[in-house]
Amino acid sequence: MRDISMILKSVWKSLFVFSAISVIAVSTVNAQDAKEGRTLFKAKCSSCHALDHKVVGPALEGVSDRHPEAFLLKWIPNNAAMIAAGDPAAVKLFNDNGKVAMTTFPELDEAKVKDILAYIKEGEPKAAVDPNAPKTGAQDSGTSGLSIAGIVAIVVLAIVILVILGRASKLLERLILQKQGIEIEEDVPLKVGVRKMFKNKKFVMFFILCLIICLGSFGWMGMWETGVHTGYQPVQPIKFSHELHAGINQIDCQYCHNGAFKSKNATIPSLNVCMNCHKAVQARDKYDGEISPEIKKIYASLGYDPETQKYDESKAKPMEWVRVHNLPDFAYFNHSQHVVVAEDAIRKAKGLQPNEPVCFACHGPVNTMEEIYQYSPLTMKWCINCHKETDISGQKNNAFYAKVIEAHEKIKKGEKITPALLGGLECGKCHY
Amino acid sequence: MKGSTLAMNKNKFVYTAFLAIAFAATFSACKDKRSTGLEYARNMYDPIAYNPDQPNKNFKDGKTAQLPPAHTKPVGFTEYDEFPNTKEGYEAAGVSMVNPLPVDTINLAQGQHLFKVFCSPCHGEKGDGQGHLVKIEKFSGVPSYFSGSSSRGGEMKALTAGKIYHTITYGVNNMGSHASQITPIDRWKVVMYVQELQKQQ
Repeated sequence: MRDISMILKSVWKSLFVFSAISVIAVSTVNAQDAKEGRTLFKAKCSSCHALDHKVVGPALEGVSDRHPEAFLLKWIPNNAAMIAAGDPAAVKLFNDNGKVAMTTFPELDEAKVKDILAYIKEGEPKAAVDPNAPKTGAQDSGTSGLSIAGIVAIVVLAIVILVILGRASKLLERLILQKQGIEIEEDVPLKVGVRKMFKNKKFVMFFILCLIICLGSFGWMGMWETGVHTGYQPVQPIKFSHELHAGINQIDCQYCHNGAFKSKNATIPSLNVCMNCHKAVQARDKYDGEISPEIKKIYASLGYDPETQKYDESKAKPMEWVRVHNLPDFAYFNHSQHVVVAEDAIRKAKGLQPNEPVCFACHGPVNTMEEIYQYSPLTMKWCINCHKETDISGQKNNAFYAKVIEAHEKIKKGEKITPALLGGLECGKCHY
Repeated sequence: MKGSTLAMNKNKFVYTAFLAIAFAATFSACKDKRSTGLEYARNMYDPIAYNPDQPNKNFKDGKTAQLPPAHTKPVGFTEYDEFPNTKEGYEAAGVSMVNPLPVDTINLAQGQHLFKVFCSPCHGEKGDGQGHLVKIEKFSGVPSYFSGSSSRGGEMKALTAGKIYHTITYGVNNMGSHASQITPIDRWKVVMYVQELQKQQ
């Protein structure tokens, strides 16, 4: 009897161990499949599909529950053939999704499709949150004002406490002295003391001198800084982070500010440029599956509905960015003249690294600015100093200087030359 | 009596001066980054004419940047109406459009620069679909120019100039239209460079 129970026990034990091992094995195989599937999904499917929301094609979460596996194994590699053959389920799926043709993937065999389906079933593996992860544009950086106020409050409080303590100790001292029967001289009141001091001519002279120096230096500093906007950092309607876009994502300045290389203005990108990426990039992983509130502002401004992916122009309202860099209207500055014609000279003069855009020469390290601010003073002195120091010799292959030299040669030879040849017909020569 | 009133006045003056200094010191010490600071003649900074990105109450929608009136086109504007953003338009562009620019080193160099700025963040500098944004997993599903098949049929390496131009102009799938950022002539330079990349193995 005992033997039987022992045998049963050991059988039970081995069964348990076996099943545990097999579960682990299966799950690791699954994980492996899902990992393969994730790579394939990212490479083949994700330009049109996401797991949890509609992109170009429908959301794929739970696709294995909606369609039998046999159907999916045929549909994914070659949906066009199924539709052409008139498969009713295939035709229905095609019609239900706005008749947008899906790419065929003849290179995906059955094993690969199963890997992808395994990944869709498992979902995105939960990534550990990295505490050192760089900050994103969603975080608020407007704490400096508060902290300054806090420091001021602490200082004021400390002064108040010191004064009170001083008074208290004086009072105690006086009480002790009175108890001992010692008469004390009454304190000279502050007002009378100050009045006495100001009867002293030497002190008055010294005081007036201090006053003049203080007011003079404050006035001087104030006048130097009048109209100089260095460090100006207005609050923008969207918390757009240049640190994220130009720094971490390494998107070239010109991608958005494409006017800088063509015209006088660097141009603030219109929202369709944002949508080139933000139609798909919605930072849902940072907001519990919701679209980032800052990206939602782009959608709201355009009247774009991310669910239907349609624009409603009647709901559109232009985004009002706040201008940071603003030259006086009487000063003419041309971006293309600086970033195209003078690029090499400016790079040399400012010692920029080859991987840094020429824009950094004046706009500073934009790729580290969470919030954009004015880096350079943009004063006339600042312009003139750079124009005095920058070396533009050795610009033989530069079309701009080649033209200038050509015109000079013509003048030297006494050939006919008109203002039109020197760009005198450009509208911007007179009208800007 | 007269002397004491004078002293009083002097005192008042001194107190006021003290206050003024304290005031000036506090205000100049904490410069507000949200404000432009002290300005003289602000009206000389602001343009008299409207800048394109300014609000404008003269128009109903409040914008200065208006679309040209209907049925007009700016001088030198390249029309692209005969190839609409449809599968048919794409196929037609692929057959009938040819690159008007000669393949030379200058055009290719400019095409390479434009490609680096506008395409390589996703498509990669080699055109292999492994741009920086793909590597850091911000974007995915970017095809390579020289392997695999196009989502609209055919081999990627066999895409014609007209099809590439159509794609840059209108975008496809997750890629948006780049027409507002790249001028038609620059688009052809990009097409030229992309066709060089297609020749890779």
